[in-house]
Amino acid sequence: MQTSGNMKWLWLAIGAVVMLALPQFVTSSFAIDIFIRILLFSFIGVAWNLMGGYAKQLSLGHAAYFGVGAYTSTIMQVNYGISPWIGMIAGGVVAMLASLPIGWLCFRLRGPYFTIATIATAQVLMLIFLKFRDFAWGAEGTTIPNLGSAPLMMQFEEKSSYYYVVLGLLVVGLWITHQIEKSWIGYYLVAIGEDEDAAEAIGVNAPKVKRDIYMISAFLTALAGTFYTQYIYFIDPATAFSFNVSIEAALVSIVGGIGTLWGPVIGTVLLETTSALLQSWLGSSVGGIQLTVYSLILMAVILWRPTGLIGFATDVYHRTLRRKPARA
Amino acid sequence: MWETLAQAVINGLLIGGIYALVSIGVTLIFGVVKIVNFAQGEFVMLGMYISFFLATQFGIDPLVSLVVSMPVLFVAGVLIQHFLIRRVLGPNDMPQIFLTFALSLLLLNLSLMLFSANYRTVHTSYSDEAWHIGGLYIPVAKLIAFAVAMALSGLLWLFLHTTDLGRAMRAASQNRDVAMLMGINPNRVFAVAFGTALALAGAAGSLLMPFYSAYPFVGQVFVLMAFVAVVMGTLGNVMGALVASLMMGIAESLGIQFVGADSGLIVVFALLLLTLAFRPSGLGARRGR
Repeated sequence: MQTSGNMKWLWLAIGAVVMLALPQFVTSSFAIDIFIRILLFSFIGVAWNLMGGYAKQLSLGHAAYFGVGAYTSTIMQVNYGISPWIGMIAGGVVAMLASLPIGWLCFRLRGPYFTIATIATAQVLMLIFLKFRDFAWGAEGTTIPNLGSAPLMMQFEEKSSYYYVVLGLLVVGLWITHQIEKSWIGYYLVAIGEDEDAAEAIGVNAPKVKRDIYMISAFLTALAGTFYTQYIYFIDPATAFSFNVSIEAALVSIVGGIGTLWGPVIGTVLLETTSALLQSWLGSSVGGIQLTVYSLILMAVILWRPTGLIGFATDVYHRTLRRKPARA
Repeated sequence: MWETLAQAVINGLLIGGIYALVSIGVTLIFGVVKIVNFAQGEFVMLGMYISFFLATQFGIDPLVSLVVSMPVLFVAGVLIQHFLIRRVLGPNDMPQIFLTFALSLLLLNLSLMLFSANYRTVHTSYSDEAWHIGGLYIPVAKLIAFAVAMALSGLLWLFLHTTDLGRAMRAASQNRDVAMLMGINPNRVFAVAFGTALALAGAAGSLLMPFYSAYPFVGQVFVLMAFVAVVMGTLGNVMGALVASLMMGIAESLGIQFVGADSGLIVVFALLLLTLAFRPSGLGARRGR
């Protein structure tokens, strides 16, 4: 979009004020919970989008890093009493290290088989945590000891505090994406996403660029894992390595606009709002309804508007306001 | 010891026949249409529910209901190819991967809503029957499933090698552009390939029903097996997928026998990761456009 520099800052400032003030006006715990989910999945989507959106490495295994982050900080906290703030960074580093061998294996495949290999790696990690009980509580998982109000241990009495933590994470994720987008790495990523062989032919070191961006993406996803565990006070392999995390990370980016800065945020707002509305209309009794609707939205986007809602909005904007043809 | 080993191999081989039907479908679609069908497992699930409802509503034996599930899924495959897949064919991976993935999510969650998560079984006269041959135990229902699966694979091989349409499909899988220049109608070939693959998945579902429970997530087990088998057997290769599927069945069964009841999947994933680590060249490289 061709908004001028000043306008952009104005919008950002308005957005920041609204986001910061929101929990002061909305006090319903149900609503705050939905806001937190939206911010969390936006953040995971942003992390996925770096890899999946810009470089078109379509992973369906980001739950691996979500789980690694969650387990690292929880093990450090429960067994050694180390603050999850430190554990969160540690989890990110462990996830970065884990992404090296995983990437080494998965990047040998391209296209859909890369996707399948990433599914397999996340599943293997889940099975490992399920199977080896002395490692980390096995299938039952564990609850996080509740210390009441302990900001230094990432535990708050007010839900709004969690809101600000995850808002901070999202801002970091968007800032990193923005920095990458306007740097050479960003152009390399897009070139790899368009045609990897051609990118290599013009001198892009594709394996290195993919490895680096995968590490950043894994790091960020792991932070989300720690946050989520602290928020729900519970961890087990099925939630930490849930396939649904991998699915939603990809879905929000594709629905919102793959390979765009704000795409994952817009996609999450749409999907999570739809999901919350469905839940309040139908109750949680009807299993499967949420993903049924998600899959229909995903199909509609792919068949009619593969550039996502952002592409759709840009088209409409250009057609109605500017009367100029939309850029491809 | 040897008897346990032989028994595990037999168990694995018999279920491997079912894996083969699913894998051959995946590899057929990949070879001809050049997409990966993430929803293949859900069509196995639909085949199972078709047989389940025919058995409980009309008392039709699941093996007989093969003649319903296969044509129904063939038609479904032709329609899906014509109305959905055809629209996303092109150089871009994202729509192809996520269209079939969305289809998989949709079918799975619709079944969850319509049929609930309950396990459904059909009890036939031969469900509990088994032959005892020299200390080995061979369940009749699994043996029949294996035999029919092999017969169907053989028929597919004959179809691909002796009929004009089959030859056209193989030609399209080797080089789509040249095949089109030779006058092969790609839309027709793609539709038949997709339909055939889904019919095989439906057959797998019906064959499973006498000894396996139907539930919405059942397809995921089979599709994961199939993906691994297709990677191991070199993408797009029907014979490779068949052999790799039988090996996967045996590997899984040995894992269950000697490592632990819940380790079947670990063995399968370990095989996939080992294949990727040590034999990657023939795998991604064949991905033509």
